[in-house]
Amino acid sequence: MSFTRPFNPLDAAAEIETALPVVKHRKVTARLWRHSQARIGMILGILLLCFVIIGPIIYPHDPAKPDYGNKLAPPGSQHILGTDQSGRDQLARLMEGGMRSLGSALLVLGSVSSAGLVIGLIAGMSGGWFDALAMRLVDVMMALPGMVMAIAVVGVLGPGFINLLVALVISSWAYYARLTRSYVLTARQRQDVISARLAGIGWGRVIFTHILPGVLTQLIVIVTLNLGSMIAWISGLSFLGLGVQPPKAEWGAMLSGSRFYFTFAPWLLLGPAILIFLSVISANLIGNALRDILDPKANE
Amino acid sequence: MNSNQHYERVEIVKIIFQRLLQMFLTLLGASLIIWALLPLAPGDPAMRILQSLGVTEPTQHEVETKREELGLNQPYHMQYIQWLGRLVQGDFSESYQNGKPVLEELGRRLPDTFRLASLSLVLTIFFSISLALICTAFHNQWPDHLILFLTQIGASTPSFLIGVLTLQFVVVKLGVGKVLSQGDVKMILLPALCLSVNRSSNWSQLLRAGLLEAVNAKYSLVATARGARKLRLLFKYALPNAMLPFLTVIGLGIGGIIGGSAIIEAIFTWPGIGSFVFKAITARDYPVVQGFVIIAGASYVLASTLVDITSTLLDPRIREGGQL
Repeated sequence: MSFTRPFNPLDAAAEIETALPVVKHRKVTARLWRHSQARIGMILGILLLCFVIIGPIIYPHDPAKPDYGNKLAPPGSQHILGTDQSGRDQLARLMEGGMRSLGSALLVLGSVSSAGLVIGLIAGMSGGWFDALAMRLVDVMMALPGMVMAIAVVGVLGPGFINLLVALVISSWAYYARLTRSYVLTARQRQDVISARLAGIGWGRVIFTHILPGVLTQLIVIVTLNLGSMIAWISGLSFLGLGVQPPKAEWGAMLSGSRFYFTFAPWLLLGPAILIFLSVISANLIGNALRDILDPKANE
Repeated sequence: MNSNQHYERVEIVKIIFQRLLQMFLTLLGASLIIWALLPLAPGDPAMRILQSLGVTEPTQHEVETKREELGLNQPYHMQYIQWLGRLVQGDFSESYQNGKPVLEELGRRLPDTFRLASLSLVLTIFFSISLALICTAFHNQWPDHLILFLTQIGASTPSFLIGVLTLQFVVVKLGVGKVLSQGDVKMILLPALCLSVNRSSNWSQLLRAGLLEAVNAKYSLVATARGARKLRLLFKYALPNAMLPFLTVIGLGIGGIIGGSAIIEAIFTWPGIGSFVFKAITARDYPVVQGFVIIAGASYVLASTLVDITSTLLDPRIREGGQL
C-alpha cells in the first residue's frame, strides 16, 4: 500500500485540536449499565441470546421433526407453546429461528462494517484514484434507498437466505466506508498521530494504536444503531418469501406461515411477532443510549 | 446593496446548477450499477428470454441468433450505452411473465401505490407534527413521557409486523374491512395507518428534538422577554425554525414513496407496484425488477435534489453562504 497523500507536519500541527475524547471501554459499559433504558435493553438482549443459544441445549424437542398426528396442538405440558401446521414444536422452532434471525443480522452487520472499514481505511490513507473511485461509488450507493438496492440484488440473485444476506451487505456497506474514511482523514491531522509519526513510528503501527481504536468505537455505535432495522429487514424480507425458505425456521418466515392458521391457532403468530419486537426494541434501546454516551456533541 | 443582491442571485444559480449536475452524475452512476447487476443472474440471458417466449429447448442456432439480436456479443461499454439509450427512450424491455412492456405494467400499478403512500405520508406528517408539539408544550410532564414511551415502541415495531397484526386481529378477528383489499378505495385507511406508525414515531422524535432546541435558543428567550406567550412562541418562532431541517426529512419521505410501501402492499394485497415487484422477484422476472429499481431509485434521487435546492432557497443562512 502506498500512501501518496503528502504529509506536512507543520500544516498539520497548526490545525486546531480535532481529537475526539478517548473513551475507555470499561467506563462505557458502566455508563451503559447506569443508563436506565440501556439497562432494560441489555437485560432483554441477554435474555434473548440465552433463549436462542442455551434454549436448544436444554429444551428436548427437535425443531425439524414433524408429527402429523399432533398438528396445531394448543400450548400444553408436552409442547409448551403448542405445535405448528406440521406438528413441529413451536418453542423449539422459535429458538432455532431466532438463531437464524439474530445471528444473520449480526453476521451481515459484521461483514458490512469490516468491508466498510477496509475500504474506508485504504481510501483515507492512500487518496488518489482509489479514494476518488470508492467515494463516487459510495455517493451513488447512498443516493439510493437501501430497500430498493436490496430488492435489486435479491431480484437478480433470486430468493434465498444467502442471497438475501449478500443483498443486504451490498446495499449497506457505503455508509461505513464513508464514516471510516472521514475519521481517518481527521485522525491524520491529530496531535497524537503527528507526534507518533514525528517520533518515527511507521504508519502500520500508528494505524493500529492511534486510529483503529477510535474508528472501531464509532463503528460499534453505528452497528448497534442499525442492528434493530437489520433484524426488521431480514425478518420482513423472509416474511415475504425472499429469504429463508419454508422448511427452515426463521421468525419472519414463521410469522408468514402462521397467518393461514390464525383462526385455529393464533398463538403461532404471537410467538415470532413478540420476539421480533423484543429484539428490535432491545437493539434500539442500547443503540440510542450508546450514541448519547459516546457522541462528543452530547457530552459537552 | 443592488450589486450585493445580484451577486447573491448568481451564487444561488451556481449552487442549483452544481446540484443538478451532481444529480445527473448520480443517476448515471446508479444506472451503471443497476446495469452491472444483471449479469449476476444465473443462466444465459438469451436462453432466459427464449424460454419465457415458450421455447423450452432452444437449439444452438436459436440461442446464437437471440444473442446477436440482444447485442450480447458486443463489447460491454457498447451494451451499456445501448441499454441506456433504450431506457431514455422509455423502452424498459418486456416482462418475462406476460411479454408486455415493463413500463406499461409498472405504470398501470403506479396510481394505487401513489394513493396509498401519499395518504400515509400525509398521516405521518400530521401525527409527527402534532405529537412533537404536544411533547414540547408539556416538556418533561406526563404527556411528554407518555408520547416518548409510545413512540419508542412504535419506532421499534417494523411496519410489516404492524401490518400482519392489524390484518389478523382487526380484519380477520373483528371483521373490519376485507382481507383482500384489491385496491378498494374504502380499504385504504388501514394499510395507510400501518405504514405511518413506524415513521411517525421516528419523525416525531426528530421534530421534538428540533423544537426543544428552538425553544431553548436565544431568539426564543428574546421573544419571551418581549412578552410572547407560550403558544405564540411555539407556533411563530419554534415551529418554523424546527421545520426547516424537518422539510428535508419529509422530502426524502416523498422520494421514498415508490418502494417504501412495498411490504405493506404485499400484506394487504394492495395492487401497487410494491406487491407486483415481490411477485416478479419470485417469478425471476428480471426486466420488471430492474424497471422497478430504476423508477424507485430515480424518483428518490430526483426528490432529494429538489429538497436540497428548496432548502437552499428557503434558508437565508445557507443562501448567503453563512455558517450554520
